Amino acid sequence: MRRPFTALLTATAVLLTAACGSSSKTPAAGGAPATPDKVNVGVIAIVDVAPIYLGKQKGFFTKHNIDLTLTTAQGGAAIVPAVVSGQFQFGFSNVVSLLLANSNGLPLKIVCNGVASTGVPGNDYGAVVVKKDSQIKTAADLAGHTVAVNTLKNIGDTTTRAAVRKAGGDPTKVKFVEMPFPNMQAGLQSGQVDAIFVVEPFLTAALGAGGRILSSVYAEAAPNLTVAAYFASKQLVTSNPDLVKRFAEAMKESLAYADAHGDEVRSVLSAYTQIASDQAAKLILPKWPADVNKDSVQTLADLAKGDGVLTKPANLTDLLPSS
Amino acid sequence: MSRATPTEQGRPVPPALLGLIGLVSFAALLEIAPRIGLVPGRYVPPTSRIAVALADQASRSGFWRALVDTLRTWALGLLIAVVAGVAAGVAIGSVPALRAIASSTVEFLRPIPSVALIPLVVVLYGIGITSTVVLVVYASFWQVLVQVLHGVADVDPVARDTARSYRLGRRRQIVHLVWPTALPYVVTGVRLAASVALVLAITGELVIGSPGLGSAIAVAQASDAVPAMYALIVVTGLIGLLANLLTRAVERRVLAWHPAIRREEPA
Repeated sequence: MRRPFTALLTATAVLLTAACGSSSKTPAAGGAPATPDKVNVGVIAIVDVAPIYLGKQKGFFTKHNIDLTLTTAQGGAAIVPAVVSGQFQFGFSNVVSLLLANSNGLPLKIVCNGVASTGVPGNDYGAVVVKKDSQIKTAADLAGHTVAVNTLKNIGDTTTRAAVRKAGGDPTKVKFVEMPFPNMQAGLQSGQVDAIFVVEPFLTAALGAGGRILSSVYAEAAPNLTVAAYFASKQLVTSNPDLVKRFAEAMKESLAYADAHGDEVRSVLSAYTQIASDQAAKLILPKWPADVNKDSVQTLADLAKGDGVLTKPANLTDLLPSS
Repeated sequence: MSRATPTEQGRPVPPALLGLIGLVSFAALLEIAPRIGLVPGRYVPPTSRIAVALADQASRSGFWRALVDTLRTWALGLLIAVVAGVAAGVAIGSVPALRAIASSTVEFLRPIPSVALIPLVVVLYGIGITSTVVLVVYASFWQVLVQVLHGVADVDPVARDTARSYRLGRRRQIVHLVWPTALPYVVTGVRLAASVALVLAITGELVIGSPGLGSAIAVAQASDAVPAMYALIVVTGLIGLLANLLTRAVERRVLAWHPAIRREEPA
């Protein structure tokens, strides 16, 4: 009768030994040309990072002697400290979060583009959506109404204010509330909020549930807006410029490939998200240009400063890649 | 207690069957409620759709990896907590002065919810599996420690005096007197710790994003995959159920000699 108990203990011991094995894995120091550099990148499991998954599958990183590991995190708030501490060599974050980190003196540098708006109003992957029968007809009408954004004082409210201003409304009269993307549709339907700022896959879902695009705020805020970027700690940029260069090159190839192969983007989504394939087929995909649109970053910085999202000015020469 | 409930015909219905009937009714209720519009099916999908999503998950390698990660975090955290809790409990509990000194500190640290330590562990240990293990250890350690302290204090004074008159050394007192007395408490502590450890393993993964079922739930949520999300939640429930069955089986084995277990009918 003691056998099964012993077996249980053995099984636990095996599990634990395995756990020790995987946690002792540390990235090797870069520089040796013979063995590939182990690179860990912190990403968010959303449509935006499809190129890096696709690029890994296509071998673009292996070609540049990079052994790529992708780790999903819950958001930029978790990725930034992990990049600063060196747990990740690179991270993915939206531009406003990076501007905020920069203005607070965090030593970060953008190394390559992440994702951009399509620049086409009405056909962009992020938008403010209202109910079909809503009295709100243009972005200017949002004044006096409540808009749900996933994070306050970030890219959602900054670009929405820009769209309201552009349409001739008073952005200071718009009330923003914080709400996770998955809860927004319910919030809109129950009347808790009058409009929601959503990105894919929640945009397609909101439109399917009878929503109407009020304003493609990314497209309205700046032409060809760079929404997010890959970044590294300044320490890595100065200590291992060769690795940073190779990562940026592999990334550029990945971005170009993804931009040209929408069908492969839709199918790679099933590798790291749970987006259903019928829904993946309907998504409005973003643009993945090779380079950061520096003018759009400047525009975002000015908007964020003007709205009080940034309390201190950001240093763009410090944040943006030099090339 | 009789182990079967008589029906109108007088034939006994085994409790396992009754349990199954309960589960099936619950599943049927969850199937019907969204279908007749009692709850919005978009957010609360019917049981059948969750079952389909569960089958789909089982065909993904990522799901099995997440399952193993969660079990590993749970087992590792629980093991550390039990070993540390028992060692600390016996050490503190056997020395009355130490016990008096430690009690206020224990009562201060114990009620701190592990979840409140998330910002701290993320800063200290990053967003990997270590952070979640630390949370699991912190939460389940106190469950074990407090039980062990009670157990050690429960030693029969007559037995203690007898051991003293026979001049049993400290080590032999612990082995022959303290440990058998404390064992039922230890086992209870382990059982409580096992469920707390699972709660914290899932919470850590969900909030911090360390690999496991918790982060898989977060990914499903971010992908607007509502049935998949519920399917993963069902899996965490099943793990909890299995963990409880497992610890109860261990309890029956380890305490086979104890009057409280001996009195029970064999399973």
